[in-house]
Amino acid sequence: MDPSLHQALKTGIAPLHEYFLQGSILDASKEYLIHRLRGLCDHADSQPEQFNDHEMVFMLSGQQQAPFTVHLRHSLLAPECWHLRYVGVAEMGDKTRQTLVRTCLDVGVSETIIKFLNEMGFRMEYEFVARGIFFHKGIMKVTVTKMFKMNQVNDTKSLEPVSASHLVEVSVVASTSQEQIGEDMKNFAEQLKPLVLLEKVDHRKLQPVTSQTNT
Amino acid sequence: MGVVCVYMYPVPEGKSGQQVVDSMQRQLELLGAVKTGNFNVDCETYLSNNPQGTPQRSLHLLHNSEQPASCFSVLDTGTTLVADVLFEVLMAKLTQSKSGKDGFYQQRKGFKIESKGPRFEISDFVIKIGSVSMASNFKGILVEVEYCPCAIPAECWDLMREMMQSFMGTVADTPPAIVKSKKDQFYTPADTINQYLEHFTNFRKATVASQQPR
Repeated sequence: MDPSLHQALKTGIAPLHEYFLQGSILDASKEYLIHRLRGLCDHADSQPEQFNDHEMVFMLSGQQQAPFTVHLRHSLLAPECWHLRYVGVAEMGDKTRQTLVRTCLDVGVSETIIKFLNEMGFRMEYEFVARGIFFHKGIMKVTVTKMFKMNQVNDTKSLEPVSASHLVEVSVVASTSQEQIGEDMKNFAEQLKPLVLLEKVDHRKLQPVTSQTNT
Repeated sequence: MGVVCVYMYPVPEGKSGQQVVDSMQRQLELLGAVKTGNFNVDCETYLSNNPQGTPQRSLHLLHNSEQPASCFSVLDTGTTLVADVLFEVLMAKLTQSKSGKDGFYQQRKGFKIESKGPRFEISDFVIKIGSVSMASNFKGILVEVEYCPCAIPAECWDLMREMMQSFMGTVADTPPAIVKSKKDQFYTPADTINQYLEHFTNFRKATVASQQPR
């Protein structure tokens, strides 16, 4: 068995980290960004790849334990693809760190996963549809995503956009202590200015804002 | 991946498990089988620490060296999940106790059971003779036979039976229940795991029964 996997099993700590930066762009300006990304990223001569995913977030809660959340993605373009993801809390770190960092665990799973999670005690919290395109630049992944609310549970046909903008994310999944990645990502983000500002977004600060808009 | 049948092979009284494995190995080699390494199928069991009111679940996590990048999880309801081996890290997270509080699941200690031994190939067949052990106690022998070129049990059962009876005798008279129930469907690696789990559960039950005071 791979030693890093063995270590992960012993400690229960995911062996990989995701370094990421987030930003947003208004729908009207999206095309400019796409052109720019096509120029900057790999495979500039082919059409960028599309995705259309239904994401369900499941939570396991107990009386004593802190709730445990997993994200399940189901591709609507290739319905045999199911992907389960666990992400830790995003760490801001100090000023010397260029990106947000969180532990992450990506697991390909079979189509029995929804039934399996429910029987394990997980309950679905919320769901949405994420549609967009993605690019690669080396090991960096760039996604431009439009988020949609679902009007009815489990109905991926009747959708309503969440906002008038697209979410832009640059991310790299790598093992720990690879701070050089942060530098590369920051440099890449610089090249997208002023179209989109990719930043370390403090998720804790976002929460009160969203709860206000909900009420 | 073809169709797989797993049988419990009885160990006659007065013989050790190793002796039975050795004589079967000799028999296979006489038939022209070639040893191609070893195999291993193991099973760990977890129990949920659910809040009151919800039923307690047991979850079996199995590996098969034939599918080294996957792990198989089977709930007591019968739902089977095939996932990347990283799913196990997720399970480790769920079993971890934090600041003195129990995790969502706990591993049943001393309950790990595995079947391992030599793996043979003879033209289109793969044969594995596994010695089953739990907490390093020998429990019995499981023989696995796979016919690789076909995925639908009904199409190849007769051929498989003939092959299996040549070295196992009457043990392989009827197909295992899981194979029987999927006669006209595609056979998958998850079905193999469920056959192993069924045998493992029987071995564990036998252990519990023999431990009870008479």
